[in-house]
Amino acid sequence: MTAAIEYRDVSKSYGDKSVIEHLDLAVDRGAFVTVVGSSGCGKTTILKMVNGLVAPTSGAVLVDGEDIREKDQVELRRNIGYAIQGSILFSHMTVERNISYVPSLLNRGNRERTRAAVTRWMRIVGLPEELRDRYPDELSGGQQQRVGIARALAASPDILLMDEPFGAVDEITRGQLQTELRRIHDETGITVMFVTHDVSEALRLGTMVLAMEGGKVQQYAPPEELLRDPATDFVRRLVERERRRCSLPDDLLGRCEHSGAGSVGGDASSDLETIA
Amino acid sequence: MSDALTGVWETLASQAPFFSELLWEHLQISATAILIALVVGGVVGILISEFQRAARPTLGVINFLYTIPSISMLGFLIPFSGVGDATAVIALTVYALLPMAKSMHTGLANVDPAILEAARGMGGTRMQVLARIKLPLAAPVVMSGVRSMVTMTIALAGIASFIGAGGLGVAIYRGITTNNAAMTMAGSLLIALLALVADFLLGLVERGVVRHRRRTRGGLVAAVASCVVALAFAGYGLLAPATGKDTIRIATKPMTEQYILGDMLKLLIEQDTGLKVEMTQGVGGGTSNIEPAMEKGDYDLYPEYTGTGWNLVLGNDGTYSEGQFDTLRQEYADRLNMRWVGMYGFNDTYGIAVRSDVAERYGLRSYSDLAAVSGRLTFGAEYDFFERKDGYQALCDAYGLGFATTMDLDIGLKYQALSEGRIDAAVVFTTDGQLVSPGVTVLEDNRHFFPSYRCGTVVRQEALDAHPELVAVLERLDGAITDEDMARMNHEVESDGKDPETVAEEFLRGRGLLSSGGGQP
Ligand SMILES: Nc1ncnc2c1ncn2[C@@H]1O[C@H](COP(=O)(O)OP(=O)(O)O)[C@@H](O)[C@H]1O
Ligand SMILES: [Mg+2]
Repeated sequence: MTAAIEYRDVSKSYGDKSVIEHLDLAVDRGAFVTVVGSSGCGKTTILKMVNGLVAPTSGAVLVDGEDIREKDQVELRRNIGYAIQGSILFSHMTVERNISYVPSLLNRGNRERTRAAVTRWMRIVGLPEELRDRYPDELSGGQQQRVGIARALAASPDILLMDEPFGAVDEITRGQLQTELRRIHDETGITVMFVTHDVSEALRLGTMVLAMEGGKVQQYAPPEELLRDPATDFVRRLVERERRRCSLPDDLLGRCEHSGAGSVGGDASSDLETIA
Repeated sequence: MSDALTGVWETLASQAPFFSELLWEHLQISATAILIALVVGGVVGILISEFQRAARPTLGVINFLYTIPSISMLGFLIPFSGVGDATAVIALTVYALLPMAKSMHTGLANVDPAILEAARGMGGTRMQVLARIKLPLAAPVVMSGVRSMVTMTIALAGIASFIGAGGLGVAIYRGITTNNAAMTMAGSLLIALLALVADFLLGLVERGVVRHRRRTRGGLVAAVASCVVALAFAGYGLLAPATGKDTIRIATKPMTEQYILGDMLKLLIEQDTGLKVEMTQGVGGGTSNIEPAMEKGDYDLYPEYTGTGWNLVLGNDGTYSEGQFDTLRQEYADRLNMRWVGMYGFNDTYGIAVRSDVAERYGLRSYSDLAAVSGRLTFGAEYDFFERKDGYQALCDAYGLGFATTMDLDIGLKYQALSEGRIDAAVVFTTDGQLVSPGVTVLEDNRHFFPSYRCGTVVRQEALDAHPELVAVLERLDGAITDEDMARMNHEVESDGKDPETVAEEFLRGRGLLSSGGGQP
């Protein structure tokens, strides 16, 4: 089976400054990859390489087994949902028009179908129907994030890229959104790359976690493996607090509620048992 | 102050049709320039935002054009586009381009790059991102740029009359040249009002742009569309061929007597023929702009002076005297295909005027008489007369004059200086309105030092061929107006505040040239 996304020896530098070094990575179809690392380590950069907003200095990025340089960029992007860092909405468009942005670009001039799709996605991300004609500045932070997610998903893409989408919301809303997103992933089988600088979020959401530092991959593994068996000192420090919070012996860390295994998805825990 | 306001009000009220026509022309000229600038400036603004490298040089060029003073700009354009509305529209458009292109560029450049990345990253093409995201988000900045561009254009259109275009500048300019302050103020006031109204309406549109959220987009689109339609409608009249075959186009120079003469020609032509007259009063620069426009066929006829035609138009050297009139006519026919038809009779040339008590005391009739006593007198003239080759020094050489002292004086102050006794003699024009007042005597140029400037109508031969009936009409003014008549009529306009058309009509009626039913009540 070809990977949904694959990085082949990808490096990126701006002038003399190297930002990504020799990245080799395959993201399986249907995976929920969380990318975690401190600010400036290159998370956004590797995300934007998938939809061609950033071109690698060397190496290749493949989507569905095909080098994206070979593809029509506009076509490629329309098949990849993209929630930009901060989930910035188009301030001059209503909720409905924000959500239907990508479908409207496709010129599938079917209004009824677009309206129906908007209704469906608003329900899925938990937005009440009466917000449909509101403008972004008339929404709460959480509602704006939900619109951002719906907008990224509205054209039913195969891949969803999310760049710190829950950055600006309170803890409670964030928890709701995380649950929502995990459910959508489980229902649609979409491949997700989700960037965050929050370790517990990464561990809770991801079926795979990509830990990065200084433009290099430190570890790419399921969350429980990161907790149980950190590959580098950096990862160890990264997950230390989560480990302490769980206060479980190493071999049982997979059951920790802070990992993706414990809290959201039920089926990940069975994977854990096979690994353990 | 309140007197001035009353004067302005009376001027407006008594000449409402005149002003409303000027207002409409003003609107047309500004609207055309605004529409073109909206489109061209908008497109330029978009292009330099999309291709950033072109931004700096392009804005540089437009900035440079912007720094050219408007009068020079018009001067540069006249050789290419002639006098009239086209040049005015081009000049106004050039000035309107900068604020338009700049605000479009600024508006687009200030759109949050993160939003653009989102729009692009989700698969918008360049055009889609521009049309759906960039332009709507840039709209508020662009709108405020449009507002200032529109008010600036409306104000600047006031100079359009300087080059023979219509609009409220005609009233301002006519007020200045005929010494009618109320007329000038009325024109300025209407321009200011027009600019304020336009700004107010655009303010409504602007609020629509910012607050479109509550309303349906349809409302905004309708508001913008109706503005554009109104502008286009106003502009249409200007671009559409304004003159039919049966229209005679008259131009006049910016001088009181020319305004009067123009009105006389119009009244007579419209009375005696089925032709319609379109008048461009007070073309700035006078002969230097009217004559080339005649050659291009923009105007059909205008009042001209023989000496000016000889030197300035035909480019002949030497002092023109009326003995050369046949040569003048022949050269006009051969070289320009124009004819002199109907010499009015007066001669608007330079003259030397002395205070009457001085004339009496020394028994002065001619310049030669003056030479005998000039050593005891003070002479005044405008600065220019002392500087010219054929001016003061040549005059003194020709008659052996030698004044005790000389004085530089502004044209408007000469008569005052004469009557106050600060000067005894001055160079004047022989049809000056102020000559009517007693106390000044004009002496005879017995050696014909000054060129002769008899006034008559110059007509394009083609216009005469198309409308042979014109000849008879124009000849009715032959020998009809003396120096004194012209001076008196100038006086009535400049000092008594009558408007030129009334003066023209009264004169024609008095001579029985106008039947009592004709003209305006
Ligand atoms: N256009 C650019 N020009 C120069 N440096 C850049 C550019 N974009 C990103 N960088 C640098 O690349 C590094 C990685 O950036 P990024 O991927 O945005 O980090 P983060 O992990 O915070 O998302 C940072 O050091 C950043 O300063
Ligand atoms: Mg980032």
